[in-house]
Amino acid sequence: MNVLSQLKEQIAATLPNLDLVIGWERGFDPLHHTPLFMRRPEDVERLVIDALCVHNLAVYLPGLKNKKVGVAVKGCDSRAVNQLAREGLIKRENVVVFGFPCDGAADLTKVRRQLGDISGVQSAALEGDLLRVVVDGKERETPLKDVLADKCLRCRYPNALTHDHFAGEPREARVQTDDYKDVVDFEALPLEARFAHWQQEMQRCIRCYACRNACPMCVCRDHCVAQSRDPHWVTQEDETREKWMFQIIHAMHLAGRCVECGECQRACPVDIPILALKRKLNKEIRELFDFEAGVDPQAVPPLLSFQVEEKNINERGW
Amino acid sequence: MKIGVFICHCGSNIAGTVDTAQVARTALEFPDVAFATDTMYACSEPGQEAIVQAIKDHGLDGVVVSSCTPLMHEPTFRRTVERAGLNRFMFEMANIREHVSWIGKDTEANTRKAAELTRMAVEKLRRNMPLFAKQFEVNKRVLVVGGGVAGIQAALDCADGGREVVLVERESTIGGKMAKLDKTFPTVDCSSCVLGPKMVDVAQHPKITVHALSEIEDVKGFVGNFEIAIRRKAAYVDWAKCTGCGLCMEKCPSRKSLDRFNEGVGTTTAINIPFPQAIPKKAVIDPAFCLKLTKDKCGVCAKICPTQAIDFKQQEALFTEQVGAVIAATGYDLFDISKYGEYGAGKLPDVITGLQYERLLSASGPTGGHVQRPSDGREPKTVVFVQCVGSRDKSVDRPYCSGFCCMYTAKQVILTRDHIPDSTSYVFYMDIRAPGKMYDEFTRRAMEEYGARYVRGRVAMIYPKGDKYVVRGADTLMGTQVEVEADLVVLAAGAEASQGAGKLAEKLRISYDKYGFFLESHPKLRPVETNTAGVYLAGSCQGPKDIPASVAQGSAAAAKVLALFSKDKLENDPMIAAVDIRRCVGCGKCIQVCPFKAIKEVDFRGEPKAEVIETVCQGCGLCTATCPQGAIQLAHFTDNQILAEVNALCLA
Repeated sequence: MNVLSQLKEQIAATLPNLDLVIGWERGFDPLHHTPLFMRRPEDVERLVIDALCVHNLAVYLPGLKNKKVGVAVKGCDSRAVNQLAREGLIKRENVVVFGFPCDGAADLTKVRRQLGDISGVQSAALEGDLLRVVVDGKERETPLKDVLADKCLRCRYPNALTHDHFAGEPREARVQTDDYKDVVDFEALPLEARFAHWQQEMQRCIRCYACRNACPMCVCRDHCVAQSRDPHWVTQEDETREKWMFQIIHAMHLAGRCVECGECQRACPVDIPILALKRKLNKEIRELFDFEAGVDPQAVPPLLSFQVEEKNINERGW
Repeated sequence: MKIGVFICHCGSNIAGTVDTAQVARTALEFPDVAFATDTMYACSEPGQEAIVQAIKDHGLDGVVVSSCTPLMHEPTFRRTVERAGLNRFMFEMANIREHVSWIGKDTEANTRKAAELTRMAVEKLRRNMPLFAKQFEVNKRVLVVGGGVAGIQAALDCADGGREVVLVERESTIGGKMAKLDKTFPTVDCSSCVLGPKMVDVAQHPKITVHALSEIEDVKGFVGNFEIAIRRKAAYVDWAKCTGCGLCMEKCPSRKSLDRFNEGVGTTTAINIPFPQAIPKKAVIDPAFCLKLTKDKCGVCAKICPTQAIDFKQQEALFTEQVGAVIAATGYDLFDISKYGEYGAGKLPDVITGLQYERLLSASGPTGGHVQRPSDGREPKTVVFVQCVGSRDKSVDRPYCSGFCCMYTAKQVILTRDHIPDSTSYVFYMDIRAPGKMYDEFTRRAMEEYGARYVRGRVAMIYPKGDKYVVRGADTLMGTQVEVEADLVVLAAGAEASQGAGKLAEKLRISYDKYGFFLESHPKLRPVETNTAGVYLAGSCQGPKDIPASVAQGSAAAAKVLALFSKDKLENDPMIAAVDIRRCVGCGKCIQVCPFKAIKEVDFRGEPKAEVIETVCQGCGLCTATCPQGAIQLAHFTDNQILAEVNALCLA
């Protein structure tokens, strides 16, 4: 029995005890899957799992806090479940997690880059290691690994870290450690170059807040400081400074919380590489507090702990 | 809004390097500023009157004073604006002395910076709101932590003032270090004869409850309403039954127990009353040495005890006390002399600490007051005293002076001669520090009348030679090397913070310095207060102190507590956190980080929300920094006020 049918069986068996189960289904075109909210047994038939299941469905959980919810998760998504539960933003006992081995998710920007304009795509098929699409009657193909999201290439957790059901066999992780080489390389650039880079990127921001809305850890919703007058942290002026400020606030609010699902960057309609900001903070958090959000459900997040003297912060000796 | 700005000269303190008139002129251009002037001393009576007058004349709604640190005069000016009919929180202060005039000499730059800081204060004031205090009840009981002489004095003074006192002591008896001393300087009167009656007073005072063998487990609450969890260690003796007769000590076969009271000089029995004057005079079993508890044999004490007080199954007990104030009087411990390997400390049996020597001198000590070498019991004829072992020595991270060692060494020199008339004492010292009343005369007496040889210099090493010890050091006055063959070496071990002092400070939420000594609110003007309301300090826990200073602080802390308890109700500080429940997502992070347990979760239409308990909140701002939504704002320090200050500075 393949992973999908096993997963469908597990969901169908559990659904009667739940208000709903969240998964993925085919969207408006063959390359765009969309979240599927399964309430009736027949809904389960529409479930799909493959490299196009890009969304982190944990994002819906805080809003469904008092419901019994099932959710299908990739490895990275499961970290969000752990972290949300650890922060008391969801009740873990109200959530049934369906895990499966994830082979990586496609980055549609990369697909576009590899295969050109895909707006008129008629069919898409994943055959082995190949992604084959038919656009305007013409068949095009690319090796799947060339269009996988960057986060998948350095993925250490392909299997759900927390789950109540698991379909299929756990798969081997692509890499064992994350050396944050991207962050290190970028930081090696001169200050001016880095400043220029972010100025260039941030001025393209249209402040649509897609990054924030896709982020499973952004729970303020209608009360985001980016849009509030009191407190008035950022203005609505159309200036790079304000956009940048918003992105920095987003990154800072995720310090010690970001699970690196990359949803912010995926959701960005203008492809600003904002995950880099969060990875920079995660690198610092790992070095200072030896903490990775959502990996160990029992670990105390640094923001919620207090030591008179932190092991890795030299507060006195300078 | 109409704001008045006053730029203080502070004599020449500020006006010396800041053009105050120019700052006042600049301030007139800031938004909402209706009046600005410079003033000689804003805090003086005419200065304050001018502020009151300006508020009336110009109909001001708020006042900015640019002068010194708010720590010093913010309360002063708040009262001033209150006198003129304004809410006292319609006031802001810019520090243009410590932050400007005292740190730079460039008048032009200073004037600019003073104007910028004033602008920040104006921008903040524009967003200030009138705030009003709430009243709450005071529990008029006081907890004293530590039953040394400072704690005893504090407890007695509070009790005599009519307040109930809970005295918690870690050891099985109160008395502290002073109870271990033979005599006291500069009068050479018997230590236990002076302290003993005070200890008895504590035991007999109807207002004092003593919890010995107990430690502070946890502290909740705030000034006027502390809830103290206390852990009482197992004594294995039912103290309600124990009469302190001491029969058990006579019969206990385990006689090799560590004698903590005698500083490890000699041994004692596993069941033990530390000394005859102990308060409470109750026996305690040392579980590490008791044969019954280690090997399930013996049990002689249980058989012999006339009141059947022995209880080998006794457990630790946890209980709580409700108090309104806390006096920390946890004293000091001795520096670990074994860190001086070159002195053989901890290895050579006849190299001992000053406190061990006290026990040798004491008539109630292990040798009955006969000075004998620990190694062979021989009477020493040559005794060398080494000063500053663990004091004034950066190499062992103890750069501070322990204060009392010079004096107790002089006393020990005198007592040595009294005990052994044909003995010779040498004292290796750095300087003699004897600034107290009759202190210098006392050290002179040790030198001149008791013939002690004072050698100014450090000891380089101490090593055994035959049954003697060679003490090699420098005489820096003569510029020569000195070698003394000693029978006994007494190291004046320095004082360091009591073990566990840091942990207690964290429970009490008071600060401590890098050596573990508790931090007073102000080194000169608030020496027994801490920055946590309702917590006071007495004795050596604040820094090394001799007996008179410790007693004085004990009384001072008691006076502070009695003053606090003279009010039936206290007012909270209205600069506290408040939750905007529309923004709160109920994640509870604020509850977890609040050190005062001042935030609780409430149910609002089925959703969890945070709520601040107004009289408990101390306004530290941790929750506001933690709350990702900015749903908690600290009154008087809202995000918008801070942002306005930052913007004022950035725009300038």
